[in-house]
Amino acid sequence: MTSLAGIPYNTLVVAAGVAAVGFAAGVIGSLGVLRKRALAGDAAAHATLVGVAAAFLVTGRRDLPVLLLGALVAAVASLGVLVLIRRFTRTRDDAATAIVLGVSFGLGITLLSGITARGIPGGGGLEQFLLGHTAALTAADAGLLAAVSAAAVLLVWLGLKEAVLVAFDPDFAAALGWPVTVIDYALVALVAVMVVVGLPAAGAVLVTALVVIPPVAARQWTDRAGTMLLLAGLIGLVSAVAGVAASAVVPRLATGPTIVLMAAAIFALSLLLAPGRRRGA
Amino acid sequence: MERVTRTSGPGSDSGPALEFHDVTVAYGRRPVLWNIDLVIEAPGLFGIIGPNGAGKSTLLKAALGLVPLAGGSVRFFGRPLDEVRRRIGYVPQRETVDWDFPVSVMDVVLMGTYARLGWFRRPGSGERALANACLDRVGLADVADRQIGRLSGGQQQRVFLARALAQQADLYFLDEPLAGVDARSQEQIFRVLAELRAAGKLVVVVHHDLRTAAEWFDAVALVDMRLVAAGPTAAVLTPENLRRTYAGPLDVLDELGRAIEQGRRTP
Repeated sequence: MTSLAGIPYNTLVVAAGVAAVGFAAGVIGSLGVLRKRALAGDAAAHATLVGVAAAFLVTGRRDLPVLLLGALVAAVASLGVLVLIRRFTRTRDDAATAIVLGVSFGLGITLLSGITARGIPGGGGLEQFLLGHTAALTAADAGLLAAVSAAAVLLVWLGLKEAVLVAFDPDFAAALGWPVTVIDYALVALVAVMVVVGLPAAGAVLVTALVVIPPVAARQWTDRAGTMLLLAGLIGLVSAVAGVAASAVVPRLATGPTIVLMAAAIFALSLLLAPGRRRGA
Repeated sequence: MERVTRTSGPGSDSGPALEFHDVTVAYGRRPVLWNIDLVIEAPGLFGIIGPNGAGKSTLLKAALGLVPLAGGSVRFFGRPLDEVRRRIGYVPQRETVDWDFPVSVMDVVLMGTYARLGWFRRPGSGERALANACLDRVGLADVADRQIGRLSGGQQQRVFLARALAQQADLYFLDEPLAGVDARSQEQIFRVLAELRAAGKLVVVVHHDLRTAAEWFDAVALVDMRLVAAGPTAAVLTPENLRRTYAGPLDVLDELGRAIEQGRRTP
């Protein structure tokens, strides 16, 4: 195996891939936070475990693309259930989110422990999706994560004008004749995609933090949406790299907690140091 | 049908600037507006007046397609909404947006140019020049780069007005543009609205203050879930019509009494 300054080549590639995920999560998370959809992402994140476990049970394989596809289906399904609860019952938004989050997470944990308990071949290590673990990722995995992240950022760059107007003033956007609901669903779908590609690095429990903390930290430094997206991306990138580096140095250390702690430290510093002590986004 | 007759609208339009035909709107199963029939011609400053919960804002939102019609239809210049959206400017209520949002005054005014820009295209120097001119008209050119939360309520309302001006519309809807607005901003807003009328536009304003209504509007509609009366302001704001519109608590009636006195003195 080749290496650079003592760091294995594979670790570098994985770090680059996860860095791209961190950047994209910050960018897309900013739009989610500005549209006040942070909690929906959390429900989707916790639901991904069901998808990971189900994908493994159905296909009997544990290739990353297969598992993440399962996670995406589960994330989107959970958001669909959320929409249905909101539309057809009188349950309030926060309660509906908590229900979907709790139930899907419980189901996911049950499936995972069942797989472990029965000792299904190849099932070991799936619990890494709980808190994130990048050491086992291959260069091909990292390439997939980076490619999806790049595509997501490109989409946001294209539709930035539309996304910001809908987040700021949906009534005005609707009066212009824009399909506000479609744009909203597209945004939530993008958040779901980011939660899924953030899964290997941050895990189902903590991946929301990667989508929420960098935007709120970035908001402290700027009053412009475009700048906020870029800054949030950079904060997410730094946090993600810190997580990969820490788990490369400390064996068996999960990446998710380090990523979140790094992002939280930047958030705390931003609160203390940013000029004007601006309120939350 | 109540008809407010003015000089006929500009150009080749096949109908009045704004026409509600038997419009009924319901939230869930509860109707909030019943059988509204109203025809408004351009140019003019038209007030929609009524008590809280009378459905005034809902009437605007129904016209703009923001809430569905349970019955009836709305036509603009003789055409359905989808054919004329770019000719309609809109000023929503100030409280409907988060003023802590990270956008500058200029960013918000540029949003008025988005409909003409089309999908994915960004505003350029032409749009910026237009936005600057609109800011100048409402007296806010010197705060263009400020974050919108750092403005007073009156200034925020004028930012929204500047955004509507940037839409370069023929028909403007304003929802409570004077709520929580200082006297200077109020004066400035009405001056701009009068300029729009002079340029041949129709300006429809949801409004709650009867004193300023009598002073500024050419014509008004009194609304309390139904259309109580509509026509030239002096003819409509009669004690009898106001009693029928505001069948509310006593203190409201007292205030109305004073307002009516003032309205009588205004020709």
